[in-house]
Amino acid sequence: MSKRFNLVPWLFLTPFLGIFAVFTVWPLMHSLILSMQQTYGPGRTQWVGLHNFKFLLTDPLFWKATGNTVKFALGSLFIQLPVALGLALLLNRTALKGRALFRLVFFAPSLVGLPFVAMLFAPIFEKRTGLLNVILHNLFSAWDPEFAWTQNYIMTALIIAALWMYAGFNMVYFLAALQNVSKDMLEAAEIDGAGPWQRFRHVVIPEIMPIAGFVTLLSLIGSFQLFELSYIMLGDTAGPDNGGLTIVMYLYQTGFQTGDLGYASTIGWVLALMLVSIAFIQRRIFKRHEEN
Amino acid sequence: MKALSDRLGRFLSPGALIILMIAIATSTTVALLPTKEVVGIPLWVSATPHYDAYQPLLKTWNEQHPDSQFGISLLHAKALERRMLAGFLSGAPIADLLEVHLGIASKAFLGPVDAVGFVDLTDRLHAEGIYEQINTPSFAPYTSRGRIFGLPHDVHPVLLAYRSDLVEAAGIDVSQIETWDDYFRVMRPLMRDFDGDGRPDRYLFTAGETRSDVIIMMMLQAGGSFFDAKDQPNFSNPLNAGILAKITTWITGPNRMCIDVGAFSAAGHRQRLEGLVIGTLVPDWMAGSWKVENPGLSGKLKLMPIPAWTKGGRRTSVAGGTMMGVAKTSLHIDESWELTKHLYLSPALAEHMYRNTTIISPVKTLWSQHFYDEPDPFFGGQPVGRMYINQAPDVPPRPSSPYTEAASQKIVSAAIALRVYADRTGTFDVAGLQPEAERLLAEAEVGLKKQISRNLFLTPAP
Repeated sequence: MSKRFNLVPWLFLTPFLGIFAVFTVWPLMHSLILSMQQTYGPGRTQWVGLHNFKFLLTDPLFWKATGNTVKFALGSLFIQLPVALGLALLLNRTALKGRALFRLVFFAPSLVGLPFVAMLFAPIFEKRTGLLNVILHNLFSAWDPEFAWTQNYIMTALIIAALWMYAGFNMVYFLAALQNVSKDMLEAAEIDGAGPWQRFRHVVIPEIMPIAGFVTLLSLIGSFQLFELSYIMLGDTAGPDNGGLTIVMYLYQTGFQTGDLGYASTIGWVLALMLVSIAFIQRRIFKRHEEN
Repeated sequence: MKALSDRLGRFLSPGALIILMIAIATSTTVALLPTKEVVGIPLWVSATPHYDAYQPLLKTWNEQHPDSQFGISLLHAKALERRMLAGFLSGAPIADLLEVHLGIASKAFLGPVDAVGFVDLTDRLHAEGIYEQINTPSFAPYTSRGRIFGLPHDVHPVLLAYRSDLVEAAGIDVSQIETWDDYFRVMRPLMRDFDGDGRPDRYLFTAGETRSDVIIMMMLQAGGSFFDAKDQPNFSNPLNAGILAKITTWITGPNRMCIDVGAFSAAGHRQRLEGLVIGTLVPDWMAGSWKVENPGLSGKLKLMPIPAWTKGGRRTSVAGGTMMGVAKTSLHIDESWELTKHLYLSPALAEHMYRNTTIISPVKTLWSQHFYDEPDPFFGGQPVGRMYINQAPDVPPRPSSPYTEAASQKIVSAAIALRVYADRTGTFDVAGLQPEAERLLAEAEVGLKKQISRNLFLTPAP
C-alpha cells in the first residue's frame, strides 16, 4: 500500500527551507567554489583548483596562526576549565556565606563583550605602567617592570584576559552540574569511608562528566574562533612576529584586507574541518568514558 | 491600557515585556533623532584636523561652483578603508573624492594596475605642471607600477626631538653630534639609575625590536631598499642587516641605551614627561600631536636633524603620509580633481595645517611662506617649520608596494629573532650579529616572495 504524499508539512517547512537554502546552503556551496579560485574582490576570479589548499599546507603564516590558536585553546582547556570548576566547587559549599554575591561577581565579566575585555586588558599589560607589571614588580623586586606581555607573551596575555571573562561563565555550567550530583550517592560514599578526594574522584566527576564534555566542546570551538580579543588588543598587525595571529584573524586579513576571498574561503573550510574533527574526537573520548 | 497590558501579559513574561518596551522606546528615539544630510558630491576624509581645515575652503568652493558643490564627511579610518575597498572590489557606492593615508591607499594597488579604483593622475600631473611643484619623494607611496593615483598631502620629514632641559642642564652641546655614534657618546652621561635597583631609569633613545616605525625610519634614512623597480622584495641586503644589528646592540646587552616608549599612549606620554627617554624620532605630524596630547612637554624639547649613519650622510627620514584620490567610478572626475588642487595647493590651507598640526606642505613654492619661520615655544622657540622644510628635499623615497606593510612585519620579526639570538648567545657587537641578521632577513624575504607569488593579479604595468 503506497502512502499518500502529504503537502501540508512541506508547506510549513518551506519558509525555513527557503531561508536555510539562501543563507546557509548557497553561501556554503559558493565558499567551496571560492576556495578553488583566486580572487581580487568578488569581481575578478581565476580558477586554481586545489592550489589554495596546497599553498595552505606550506603557508608559514597559516601554521603560525594555527599554532597560536592551539596554544590559546589549550590554555582555555587546561587553565580556564579547572579554574571554573574550582570556583564552582567553592560556591557549591553550603557553608560559604554570600554565595549569591560571589556568583554574580564571578559571572559578571561574561556579561561584557570581548571588545570591552580587550580594551580593559590592553593597559593592564602595558610595560612599566601596566597594573600587572607594577604589582609583580612591587611584590618581587626582581620582576622586570618592562616585561612585554603583549609583545613577547601575547598568547599568555590573551589567555589571562579570556580567563577573566569566561571562568565565571563556565563556572555556572559546572555549578548547575554539581547541584545535580546525587546527595544519596555522596552520603553513601561517605558512610563507606570515602574521603573528600575519593568522593570527588569517584562520585562527583562521573556525575558531572556530561556537562564537562559539553563545556569542553564549547570552549574549544570558541577558542578556535578567537578573533575580537586579539584584533582589538593588538590591531591589524596581530602583534610583533604575528604572535597574536589566530586562524580567524588570518582569514579576515586575507579576505577583507587583501581581497583574496578564495584563499580566505580555503582557510575557512580548513578551520571548519578542524572543528568537526575536534568535536568528533571529543565525542569519542567522552562516550568511551561514559561507557566505562 | 490595562486591557492591553493584560493581553500582552498573556503572551509575554514581565521581563520580556520590559525588553519590548525598551526596544520600542529606543527605536522611536533613534528614528526621531535629526540626521545631518550631507549635500553635494561626496568627499570622505578620516582625519579630524583635515576635516576642520577644509571647511572654509570648501565653503568658498561651493559658493564659486554652485553646480558642483561638494559635501564632506568625516569617517573613522577603518570605516573609510572598508568602504573604499568595498567600492573598489565590488562596486559598492563610495565617495567621488577620498582622502586616505598611505596604509589604506596601498591596499588599492593589490590587483592589476587597470583595476586600481583611483583615477590615474599621472598625465594630469605632468600636463598641468603640478608634478614639478610637489616634493618628488612624496609621490612614491601613491605610485604603483609607474602610475600615480593620488596627490600627496604632505612630506612628513623626521627630526630628532630631545629633552633639551636635561641635555642643557648636563652641559651637553648637541652641535657636536653628527652621527649616531656621536649621539650615544655625547649623551651617555645622561643614562641614570636613580633608585639603585641596577636598572637604568633614563635612556638615550626610543627604540625597540618591535617598533617597526623606528626600524623602518632608520633603514630608510640609511638608504636601505625594500622593493626593487618591479615591486619584488629586496630588503635582504647587507646594509639593512647592518642597521638591524646596530639597533640590536642599542636595545639589549651591557651597552643598552634605548627603551621602547609609546608615541601616543598615555603611559608613553607620562614616561616622556618624566624623562625616561632623552631622544625620539619625530615626524612633523607627531610634533603637532604631542603639542595637543602632551602639553606638559612645552619648552622641554628641542629638535635637531637626525644623526647620520656615516659622516655627511642623510640627516632625516620619513614616516606616514596622506593622499587625495578620485574614485574611478565618479561621475564628477574633473570637478573632483579641481577641488583636490583647490585644497592641496592652497597657501591658506598650508598655513592652517602648519599652525594646527605642524605638518608642512609638499608644495615647494609654499616653503618660502613666513609662517614656517615663526619661533615655536613648544620646541624652545625654534623655527620648527623651517627645520622640517630644510630636510624635506632629502627625505628618502619609499616603496609603494601593497606588500610594504607585510615587509615591515617580516623585518620586525627578524629584529625580534635577532634580539633573542643576541641574548641567547651573548653576542652584543655589530660584527657578531651581522651574519645572523643577514640570514634572518634572507629567510624573511623568501617568505614574502612566496606570499607575493600567490597574487596572480599583481601584474606588471602594460
